[in-house]
Amino acid sequence: MSENVLHVEHITMQFGGVVAVNDLSLDVNEGQIVALIGPNGAGKTTAFNCITGVYEPTNGKVDFLGRPMIENFPQGKLDKTYLGENKGLYIHRLAPTPDKITQLGMARTFQNIRLWKDQTVFNNVLTAKHLRRTSNLFTAAFRLNKAEEAQQRREVMELLEEQGLAHLKDEVANSLPYGLQRRLEIARALATHPKLLLLDEPAAGMNPQETQELTAFIRQVREQYHVTVLLIEHHMDLVMEISDLIYVLDFGKLIAQGTPKEIQNNPRVIEAYLGVAD
Amino acid sequence: MIEKRNKKGAIAAVIACAALLALIVVLENVSVFLPADSVPNVLKPTSQLFSVLKKGAVYSLAAVSMNLLNGFTGLFSLGQAGFMLLGAYTYAILSVPVADRAAVYYLYGGSAVNFSFQDMFNSVLGTEGVGGAVSLGLGVAIAMVLAGCVAAAFAYLIGLPVLRLKSDYLAIATLGFAEILKAVFQWQALGPVTNGANMIKNFPTFSSFNITDAGGKVLLRLSVFFPFLVSMICIAVICLIINSSYGRAFKAIREDEIAAEAMGINLAKHKMLSFCTSAFFAGVSGALFAMFVTNAQAKVYTTTMTYEILLIVVIGGIGSISGSVMATFLYVACSEWWLRFLDNEITLASGMKVPFLRAGFRMVVFSVVIMIVVLFFRRGLMGDKELPDLFKRRPKAAGKEEQA
Amino acid sequence: MEFAISVLISGISVGGQYALIAIGYTMVYGILRLINFAHGDVFMVAGLLGIYLSASLPLYVALPLVLLLTVALGFCIERCAYKPLRSAPRMSVMISAIGVSYLIQNTATYITGGQPMTYPVIPFLSDTVKIAGTSTKWVTILTPFLVLALVIALQQLINHTKVGMAMRAVAKDFETSQLMGIKINSVISVTFIIGSALAAVGSMLYFTNFQAITPTAGALPGLRAFVAAVVGGIGSIPGAVIGAFIIGICENVIKSTQFTVFSDAGTFALLILILVVKPTGLFGEKVTDKV
Repeated sequence: MSENVLHVEHITMQFGGVVAVNDLSLDVNEGQIVALIGPNGAGKTTAFNCITGVYEPTNGKVDFLGRPMIENFPQGKLDKTYLGENKGLYIHRLAPTPDKITQLGMARTFQNIRLWKDQTVFNNVLTAKHLRRTSNLFTAAFRLNKAEEAQQRREVMELLEEQGLAHLKDEVANSLPYGLQRRLEIARALATHPKLLLLDEPAAGMNPQETQELTAFIRQVREQYHVTVLLIEHHMDLVMEISDLIYVLDFGKLIAQGTPKEIQNNPRVIEAYLGVAD
Repeated sequence: MIEKRNKKGAIAAVIACAALLALIVVLENVSVFLPADSVPNVLKPTSQLFSVLKKGAVYSLAAVSMNLLNGFTGLFSLGQAGFMLLGAYTYAILSVPVADRAAVYYLYGGSAVNFSFQDMFNSVLGTEGVGGAVSLGLGVAIAMVLAGCVAAAFAYLIGLPVLRLKSDYLAIATLGFAEILKAVFQWQALGPVTNGANMIKNFPTFSSFNITDAGGKVLLRLSVFFPFLVSMICIAVICLIINSSYGRAFKAIREDEIAAEAMGINLAKHKMLSFCTSAFFAGVSGALFAMFVTNAQAKVYTTTMTYEILLIVVIGGIGSISGSVMATFLYVACSEWWLRFLDNEITLASGMKVPFLRAGFRMVVFSVVIMIVVLFFRRGLMGDKELPDLFKRRPKAAGKEEQA
Repeated sequence: MEFAISVLISGISVGGQYALIAIGYTMVYGILRLINFAHGDVFMVAGLLGIYLSASLPLYVALPLVLLLTVALGFCIERCAYKPLRSAPRMSVMISAIGVSYLIQNTATYITGGQPMTYPVIPFLSDTVKIAGTSTKWVTILTPFLVLALVIALQQLINHTKVGMAMRAVAKDFETSQLMGIKINSVISVTFIIGSALAAVGSMLYFTNFQAITPTAGALPGLRAFVAAVVGGIGSIPGAVIGAFIIGICENVIKSTQFTVFSDAGTFALLILILVVKPTGLFGEKVTDKV
């Protein structure tokens, strides 16, 4: 049995009177590729944002690499208006900012690509190395960290070469074609040395051939960098081909989990996607 | 390969700076070495040229430090004048010679702070000759560094509550802090330290750096050289910061805060770093400004001053250090020197007066020019490019040629 | 007691005048997300126009003319300085606003020669009246009522007319309303026209009390009014009015103590306090970034 990387427990996210994610629990084990799927508006990206610290979940707990990372319970105004379940199960509040979570070894990409658009490919990746620095402002300004800086530049160059982006290193990120921007965003996330990689719709806007390539690419990334992958995706071909485990969300609730085969034949999933025949 | 190119560039930059400093020394000393009647008007010590150069040096540091924050980190702060005020006062309070304190603070029966760094060094090194010069230099340098530190410390305190605010709110909150500082420094109760609403003067200024003989005759002028030297050192440090790992993090925050945070850049910490660094250099430039105007008085550091510096940054190009510097000199020269003639009434030979020309017209023309720049040359002089970029052959273009 | 009442009355009155300026700020911000730094200067120009026009024309002609010309100025500023920058980053527009403010101040200095000018005496408004034992000008008493009437009228306009509906739509979502066929430019023009008109009325009331006008006379009331708009929650008209009254009263209370130097500092301290406690102001809407 491989080690547990991410353990999400009873996460609920409530905005005003809307429960976007309702009592979501999931597990991701080392080396797996796990997919989170569901119809539009099912709360997948919200769940991602809860796990990566962008939102503070209303209730629930997240463990990362066996250690508690995020925990919260309904407080203040939400204490009275809370609509979710498992209230009272958690009593601590642990809300690290996204950068702390990335420090711990979790990196993500975004649904609508968020590169630093006006900077070169090289600088995009190099900037992501900033969090692994040992220098402070003073030593960095006066170039007392030359060895570290050179090391980082070397690593970035290697990473770009491995990702097939080396020849584009001086291009401005914005000028790359869409598929390459996605790839650069993944490379940037890898530069932070993550244990767990979260991909938010990596195939969005890609044609079938590009999607094929992406499938191979994600596999290759897992092998090469020994990362575990959690992804949100709409392209079912990709999901079914690549995933070890699939979780299905609908209206914020987990309605099914299992291997691709099990999910394909699950009546509740089919119902959620296609609606019920009267 | 990259490092080699960087090294070459750095050497070139150092040489260029040294050459510029040498040129400045030569220019301002023409009047010392040549006989008085052969010196062209523009090089006489009273010429507007030198005043423009001094003010330009002071303002370019202020503009670059504002650019570090507004241009490179994308934090829209309007507290620049406030930090300059802190720097100016810190410098002034620590630099007025003890002997002059009673005269300067006569309304408050003397100053509460009764020492100055220069006096301290004088007592060790003597007041004459080399010892005097060294103690002047050390005294001024330490007071200036402390001026920066005080501004940075205040920036830290101010930053704790306000840096969480979003763009416009941050702008207006920092502007508010600058106004509050201005009021506090004019408060009578602080008179023994700040001299209330009156100015603090008699501290070492730029002309203190001129080397004179015993009779007071100038042997070597360094009054323009000094602000240039200080500004250059500070701007060089800012350049180093911008090109370091931290500079990249600042730019990442500017371009996409959410992505930066997701990539492990601690927003609160880096914004604070940028804010304090910018305030430090604003403080130093405030100290320089006090030396330039030969006094420190709170009512000078208005929001108009902040706006002026902001306009310079915009004219130079937000995110370009060399742009800011060039824009500063253009701005100062236009407003103080080149457009001066517009303020004087000119009567033509035929007895007709040239219409519009009278006091105040200069500033009208000047602000029209600024509006034109803001509206039609939105990216400013340099955009986000630096001066060396203009000479560099762009690798991208070269690649394309090969393909074709 | 009498002293306290007189402080309170003048506070409310000044607050009312700030409210008229603050509405201009808050409406423009609501629609363009722009701090219109030139608004305080428009207010100052309205004062100057009052002086110059009343010198040669009878008041009943001069005052409406002031209103008209101020509106024209506001309209022109928007068309010349802000409209070309509609697609530019917000910072450019704000800098353009600073530039306009600079231009107006310098032009005013050029025309007036930098000398303080005296505002004309408007009959009735400038007459003194005794209330609760303290004597004051009629304008002080009238201001709050006039402000309330104008604000109610403005609310009616915004909530019950087609233009008002368009304005609310544009404030909510600029691009979508454009796609829905709302003529953005005319909505923005109307906003500036309303803002300038209110500033003109404000200037008549304000300068009747504080007679001297210098080219920078608009900067401080403008800044205070802006602070009022932020305190009340920028984008919200009732917020701006309440914020303005708070600022006006605070300012006059501080002025009446020995800490006169801190009257503006107090205003800003209040601003910062409110921003820190409730960053969107008293009545502002919370905006969250979409990730």
